[in-house]
Amino acid sequence: MWAFTLRRLLYAVPVLLGVSMLVFALIHLAPGDVVDILVPPEVPKAIADSLRQRFRLDEPLYMQYLAWLGRLLVGDFGVSFFTGRPVAEELSGALGNTLVLALPAAGVGFLLGVVLGALAAYNHDTWLDKLFSATAIVGVSLPHYWVGIVLVAVFAVVLNVLPAQGMGFEGLPTSWEHVQHLILPVVTLSLIPMGVISRLVRANVLEILSQEFVGTLRAKGLFNRRVLYHTLKNALPSTLALMGLQFGYLLGGSILVETVFNWPGSGGLMNLAIFRRDVPVLSATIVVLATIFVVINILVDVLQALIDPRMRR
Amino acid sequence: MFSRWTTRAAMPVAAVLALGLPAGSASAGGTLRIAMTASDVPTTTGAPDNGYEGVRFLGYPVFEGLVLWDLKRADKLADIRPGLAERWEQDAADNKKWVFHLRKGAKFHDGSEFNADAAIWNLDRYYKKDAKQFDPPGGAVAQARNPFVAGYRKIDDYTIEITNPRPLSYFPYMLPYMLYSSPAQFEKTGSWAEFAKAPSGTGPFKITEFKPRVSVTLSRNDDYWEKSKVPKLDKMVLFPMPEATTRLAALRSGQVDWIEVPPPDAVPSLKSAGFEIVTGSYPHVWPWVLNLAKEDSPWKDVRVRRAINYCLNRDGLVALLNGLAEPSVGAFKPTDPQFGKPKENYRYDPAKAKALLNEVGFGPDKPVKAKVMISTSGSGQMLPLPMNEFLQQNLKECGFDISFEVVEWGTMLVALRNAPTAQQALGSDAMNISLPPATDVSQIALYFLSTNAAPNGRNWANWKNAEFDQVIDRIEKSSDEAEILKNTQRAHEIIVDEAPWAFIVHDRNPRAMTKKVKGFISAQSWFQDFTAVDME
Amino acid sequence: MADVAVPSTDAATALKRAQQGKGYWRRVWERLREDKVTLAVIGVLAMLLVMVVFAPWFTIHDPYTGSVLRRLKPVGTPGHWLGTDEVGRDLWSRMVYGGRLSLLAGVVPVFLALLIGGFLGILAGYAGGLLNSAVMRLTDVLYAFPSILLAIAITGILGAGLQNTILALTISFIPPIIRISESVTTQVRNLDFVEAARASGARRLTIMRYHILNNVLGPILVYATSLISICIILAAGLSFLGLGVTPPSAEWGLMLNNLRQGIWASPLVAALPGVMIFVTSMCFNLMSDGLRQAMDVRL
Repeated sequence: MWAFTLRRLLYAVPVLLGVSMLVFALIHLAPGDVVDILVPPEVPKAIADSLRQRFRLDEPLYMQYLAWLGRLLVGDFGVSFFTGRPVAEELSGALGNTLVLALPAAGVGFLLGVVLGALAAYNHDTWLDKLFSATAIVGVSLPHYWVGIVLVAVFAVVLNVLPAQGMGFEGLPTSWEHVQHLILPVVTLSLIPMGVISRLVRANVLEILSQEFVGTLRAKGLFNRRVLYHTLKNALPSTLALMGLQFGYLLGGSILVETVFNWPGSGGLMNLAIFRRDVPVLSATIVVLATIFVVINILVDVLQALIDPRMRR
Repeated sequence: MFSRWTTRAAMPVAAVLALGLPAGSASAGGTLRIAMTASDVPTTTGAPDNGYEGVRFLGYPVFEGLVLWDLKRADKLADIRPGLAERWEQDAADNKKWVFHLRKGAKFHDGSEFNADAAIWNLDRYYKKDAKQFDPPGGAVAQARNPFVAGYRKIDDYTIEITNPRPLSYFPYMLPYMLYSSPAQFEKTGSWAEFAKAPSGTGPFKITEFKPRVSVTLSRNDDYWEKSKVPKLDKMVLFPMPEATTRLAALRSGQVDWIEVPPPDAVPSLKSAGFEIVTGSYPHVWPWVLNLAKEDSPWKDVRVRRAINYCLNRDGLVALLNGLAEPSVGAFKPTDPQFGKPKENYRYDPAKAKALLNEVGFGPDKPVKAKVMISTSGSGQMLPLPMNEFLQQNLKECGFDISFEVVEWGTMLVALRNAPTAQQALGSDAMNISLPPATDVSQIALYFLSTNAAPNGRNWANWKNAEFDQVIDRIEKSSDEAEILKNTQRAHEIIVDEAPWAFIVHDRNPRAMTKKVKGFISAQSWFQDFTAVDME
Repeated sequence: MADVAVPSTDAATALKRAQQGKGYWRRVWERLREDKVTLAVIGVLAMLLVMVVFAPWFTIHDPYTGSVLRRLKPVGTPGHWLGTDEVGRDLWSRMVYGGRLSLLAGVVPVFLALLIGGFLGILAGYAGGLLNSAVMRLTDVLYAFPSILLAIAITGILGAGLQNTILALTISFIPPIIRISESVTTQVRNLDFVEAARASGARRLTIMRYHILNNVLGPILVYATSLISICIILAAGLSFLGLGVTPPSAEWGLMLNNLRQGIWASPLVAALPGVMIFVTSMCFNLMSDGLRQAMDVRL
């Protein structure tokens, strides 16, 4: 068991290296570089080139990569090409802001997903099943950012009960006013996890309920605690695995939701970095996010192996 | 901070705390919250990025140049006025040299004096590579916008001299783009990155709070050197908000008081909800820059270029935009004295367009095929997708078969900086790029002189016209205002008649604001004056 | 982004499945036939497909021409029963023709990812050991990578448009399909290995190949159908960012984005492409659920 975990942790290293190399390669394949965005087009070539030199963009790609990797390994995330601010500062701020959204969104999405999925399964073969299922998968049937725009139009503009955009605070929310800023983006973000989790829970619960001995237990009453307990115990492992992955995606920050709500999170930071070809910010952000994903993946695989020995490879 | 309930209550308190003034001061003018189209807060170092919108908000309100724009009037094109230089003149002996007499009594926000040393220090920031304060990106931008500084020196404590590479009568028009920051503050903070956190300029506002990516707060500078232009407002808070529907929602729900570029479709509902739509009318062309260097360019014959200008249904496009733009039939507006009297008088005349095309050999069975590079977004691009789609249909009726190469903004900037025949142009026959406003002859020269043909300058079309070059040369060497005006008119006439661009519409810089915003005069310029604005 | 559900079938069910063989698919078909809702949904999708393919028969107006004077007309306007869009084109025509690109953008990437990812995942699950590790770790690299950056790089190099959108989306979906396929294959393999160890060597190979393919394709297929709706939405998201399908193409996501400012002028019209995406997605999801049930798969 521990050998398995250790092996996965070791494998994480080449994976992260691979990710960072891929980032470098892709960002340099995209046309243009930060100098093209930073300065007007009529800048004399000599000046543009000297700027490129300053950013070390004239060096061969592998050298730029190695230099960056070397600094990263000693904890130096570098400085943004565009703003000149330290990347670590920008990234930690942005990740923090995304976390403030991701945690409640995950909570709401997972909770509703589990409830709706379980309700749908219990009411299987009735129209209620279809109703609960349909409600749950609204999130994966409509572009969520568009739902966000509509929610803003309804609640912020027409009804004027919630703020239209922006975070409105720094760090953690400490007042009702701050929480108001959270409501619409959290609802929008929770739609996808809700949809995805509910489908899995529904399928899992159905599978369990179809087992014969459960029929006898059920005859004793729909919400009998033992039935519930047994159902949850069997449905939980794979559901937890999925929740872990969904949380990873949420942490990556949704570029679309952050754009619509003007939220200064990691999605927006990455979006800016991509369009501005800000290599230090982009590389650092993606490597950090990739690390989070890899860790979550390892945890998921470990969990699965623990629950179901057949899942070992 | 966003809550409309607490803002008005908190404002007087904040004013007292921030400025140490007794509450109820005569010019207590409130806090104006503006949502910009920029995707990030422009840099606060005195060399703002994010294009000209950055200069509009984090340039002139906070940092100034030797020369400034006169933004007081709405009825004529904004001209220049003395800024940190009280007056200037060309050296009688050598007209490549300009002498600037600096203003006495202007102070930076940190209290230090503005004088010749400060001015030279700032020029070093932009031009002197080994200076401690050398700012490579800022320097690159300054050199791009003003490529005519060949040398400079201090004459005495309040006089400096700048040398041009060749005689340039319109040199003062290039100086508003070079802004001055406080050397003392730079010494105190140590680097531009640190300076950005505690900036200091000479402008009517000073930066008092800066939250990266979220907002920047400008407060009134009571010690501003021009007493009549001390701002009425207490504070201005600027928010980057690149998504148009988000800006709209923010305005309508009361989170901000003023938004840049409202979505055109929302204009009627904004008006009926009691908001004001403010537009300005000034020359800011939204064109198709025609590729004249390409081997098989469809625009080689001038009649084809004129034909497209006669085929454009400008009024239809303006209707699409709900009046947020106006038709453009040249680089200047027809009401501008610099417009001249061109032979071609562009208007929507499909018959004439078709006739012109027939002369060249095009017709219903042989349409003019052209691929236009358009971007999905970008500073000044307005609504590129629906606007271009409209034009595509519009031009079809005269026999133009237009297709699009849709690229991301960064890709377009790369193409712009290279030759139109280079690979980066992706084989495009035209580029839909809104270039900085051509408000005076200095800009016209930058766009259309043959020596500025890309990749050496802004003339992406690579249009080369000997007579135009000669006229500009005459302007540069002259010092007689009447002669300059006459030649400017001639230069403009050539541009219109030879049509290196499809002149489509002028961007009217629309903004939407609540009725509580008072005193704003929309000057005929990309830049605006916020000192007269007041919040009810 | 993607729906990653990991099956954890219990021993009894898996064994049952492994032993089913030929009769399995016939039983699936029989179960499907009785599920009215799923049949109805498949019917709707089929009808949609017909309308979209034979679009000229179902529409009057050209989806590419319009007059700016007739822009954003509301639902019920004479001659344009669903109104017009922001440039004056008939919305009904745009929706029908738009179905072509939307369904293409939704189905093709999933299909291609299924082929490539399914193959790689089954291979990795079947082979185990070093090959498994190699494939899965490579998958991890792609998995941890934001698909947006991929899309931007691809469209930046190759240009925007439908083909490159499909390419970017396909690459984004390959990792989760590999994970699912590998996971299911590993389960079945480990099970059958025990069973088949009792039989002779040659028969073991046949059984493994036969049972793996039969019992693994089901869950993978079901998972993939649920991805289609997500794919349509992702394509819309790419258009929102300015990548993806380009004008003047009709595509539901692009239309939804272009019309988003129109919610202040004509809310119903602006919402219509969203309704279309919603209905199609729901159908695919419900069909996927029905298939799942018919195949008795815990996904």
